[in-house]
Amino acid sequence: MPENQEPRIGVYVCHCGGNISGAVQCELIAKALKQLPNVTITRTDESLCSDAGQSMIEADIKELGVNRVVIGACAPMLHEQTFRGAVTRAGLNPYLYQHIGLREQDSWVHGHDKQAATDKALRLMSAGVAKARLLQPLEPIRLGAEKHALVIGGGVAGLRSALDIARQGLRVSLVERSPFLGGRMAQLESVFPTEEEARKLLHALIEKVAAHPDITIFTQAEVTGVAGYVGNFNVHVQQHTRGVTNENAEALMAACSQEVPDEFNYGLTQRKVIYKPYAGCYPSTPAVDWENYNGEPISLNGKQVVLKDEPKAFELNVGAVVVATGFDPYTPPQGEYGFGELPQVVTLPHLIRHLALTKNGQPLQWNGRAIRDVALIHCVGSRQVEGIHQPQADGQVNNYCSRVCCTATLHMTAELHKRYPQLNIFDLHQDIRTYGRGHEEYYRRTLEDGVRFLRYNGEELPKVSAAPKGDIHPVLVKVKDRLTYGEEIEIPVDLVVLAVGFMPRDIHGLEKMLKVSRGADRFLLEVHPKLRPVETAVNGIVLAGTAQGPMNIQESLSAASAAAAKVASLLGRGHVELPPFVASVDEHKCNGTGACVEVCLYEGAIALQTFEENGEQIKRAVITPANCVGCGACVSACPNQAIDVQGWTLAQYEAMVEAIGADMSALAEVAS
Amino acid sequence: MSVQNQQPKILILGTLSGGYAGADSTGQSHLDYPANTYILPVMSPVMFPPEFYLRAFERGIDGIIVMYSGTDSPYKVEAEGTAKLINRAYQMMKERGIDIRRLRLAAICTVCVKPFLKEVNQMNDLLKGIGFVKDELAGRASAMAGKETAHG
Repeated sequence: MPENQEPRIGVYVCHCGGNISGAVQCELIAKALKQLPNVTITRTDESLCSDAGQSMIEADIKELGVNRVVIGACAPMLHEQTFRGAVTRAGLNPYLYQHIGLREQDSWVHGHDKQAATDKALRLMSAGVAKARLLQPLEPIRLGAEKHALVIGGGVAGLRSALDIARQGLRVSLVERSPFLGGRMAQLESVFPTEEEARKLLHALIEKVAAHPDITIFTQAEVTGVAGYVGNFNVHVQQHTRGVTNENAEALMAACSQEVPDEFNYGLTQRKVIYKPYAGCYPSTPAVDWENYNGEPISLNGKQVVLKDEPKAFELNVGAVVVATGFDPYTPPQGEYGFGELPQVVTLPHLIRHLALTKNGQPLQWNGRAIRDVALIHCVGSRQVEGIHQPQADGQVNNYCSRVCCTATLHMTAELHKRYPQLNIFDLHQDIRTYGRGHEEYYRRTLEDGVRFLRYNGEELPKVSAAPKGDIHPVLVKVKDRLTYGEEIEIPVDLVVLAVGFMPRDIHGLEKMLKVSRGADRFLLEVHPKLRPVETAVNGIVLAGTAQGPMNIQESLSAASAAAAKVASLLGRGHVELPPFVASVDEHKCNGTGACVEVCLYEGAIALQTFEENGEQIKRAVITPANCVGCGACVSACPNQAIDVQGWTLAQYEAMVEAIGADMSALAEVAS
Repeated sequence: MSVQNQQPKILILGTLSGGYAGADSTGQSHLDYPANTYILPVMSPVMFPPEFYLRAFERGIDGIIVMYSGTDSPYKVEAEGTAKLINRAYQMMKERGIDIRRLRLAAICTVCVKPFLKEVNQMNDLLKGIGFVKDELAGRASAMAGKETAHG
């Protein structure tokens, strides 16, 4: 194999159509680097990524015996894969190639000083050559994969993912904690910007999911354990019994007398403990709310029926997991804008359900009192400022923007005006962030409708208090309005609506089982917001929808489809190939200290195993590549330098640093 | 061709999901910063033992900025683990008479152009003031030699 021979390095410097050569003297770099040990050939080219450029590299590998390739060009994220392909086509291991970014990190930022840009390019390329000398052929990690995916969460994102995955020919198990599908979207009446009926859209999707032969739905089910790795996750699930049958469900529901606050209506109404959240829900059979059922017998046709939950546990073997666990609306603490103290202060989700329960033509009332003046306050639970807002349970404030609430508030405002044109509506905002297509239309329309907009400063929040005795309004809102140069305005109102933001759902147990991370905002974290937007650092675990952060329905669906595409591309071939950048143990150096095992946070990635050698029992660290994320925590922990991350070894870094720090005068002189 | 060996050298270890991508974003904006900066991509800086930084200084690197992803890192151990390793490196730097300001840990995101420029410029300004690391190391060596002579 050519890669096992003495390194014969080909060095290529791209002009990038003048983007690099406009600042970097590429020919001088090539001439200088030719002097380095092991460098067989150096070349420059107008555009290495062109067919001609790639063919030139391929020819050098085949004809000159080049067995390591160093390319100085644009950012690796743009063309690293292109050149790996060229190297592979020429018969060389694709990991015997090193890419140096000379455009974004040199010519484009030091163009005013060609000498400095050239000097920097020489050192960076020299570092690339130093690393190339130490490159070893690597093989992608190839694992058999179950053509079966698990989707956790039966809201709109989970449903979309499940359907998209199944349509790619994979089996899907959809696990939903509640007894019914649909999630938060089922609680909405209409969706912006199309004004379509939310549940009609949702049910069109649910019908397709339910009818698909490759999708199995488990409601009232929760994941209780996860082991394994991409392609081969073993998932433990516990599913509660529905508690009623199709035959006796309606009769039992009618006979049941125990009631609890109905979470579907955010506690505005009561429901029975045998229930359906709304007419037309899926599944249509009622279910028992086991968390709240008090165990009392229910009298039915002269018999006393005691409902019994007999949960069943089962296992699923899946190749990938989609996490679509959704969000919770922010619940203001007692006293925030009078919430919990003044009965006339409600949240936007409350009002959405209240309007849904108020028939067309009925007057708008709250607690039996007619509403004539209403104030809506934006950014409640979002864009919080330390020292101003009460921190959450973990001591942090929600400094993120929940994005969706501006349009959701204006959507509600438009609806209120449409149904109750005589209402006086006041909109108190920091900014109006109607960023989506068609969203700004709501702002324009509500302005035309006569809604009064007042702009407050995030550090001087509006104040909500009980109105003075004798006032015909129960609540007084005071706001310093930036649109009128800080004038303090008092608004007596009948109702205050808090436009609450998104909160990450408490899924601590699941997060731990899946070994996924949270960001500073406490939502689940992707590997990279742009380059790998739905993947987590754990191979085979992907994110869909608002578990990852605030999104509207349209964005949730896009993310869900992206997650499905990622799963399909991962499992579609029946095996998965992972980059080889994982830890590797040098068995000659490892003496089983276990320091690596102690620092590793990825279960099953590294373990001490006992071996017998020359009649002696010895311990040694063993890596399970599929569970290793390649972070390298074990590398710095090992007292014997017995572990490295393949492709990113400490020795390679040492060599690069040495090259950068070296005196380049001699090299440069030759090039002159 | 001549090379500028008279400039202090700044090594930047930039994570693929943080500082390295942040440097690319800065390049896409065509914003100038000092050219004596050499950025190496890393999966996570938690792989570098404290001795790595000391060896880098001995090899002529005058300042090091570790641009990681902080609490937004996709790797669970990165934020806390890297901070601990850097703290240990600081101890070792003090013992060898190396100004600890030469090593800096900064959270840089993929689009953190301004923070990237700020970090680079601050380190460059610092190095202009405190000079080359080789002088610090030489000063320390001669002090040690003097001590030995005095004891001898």
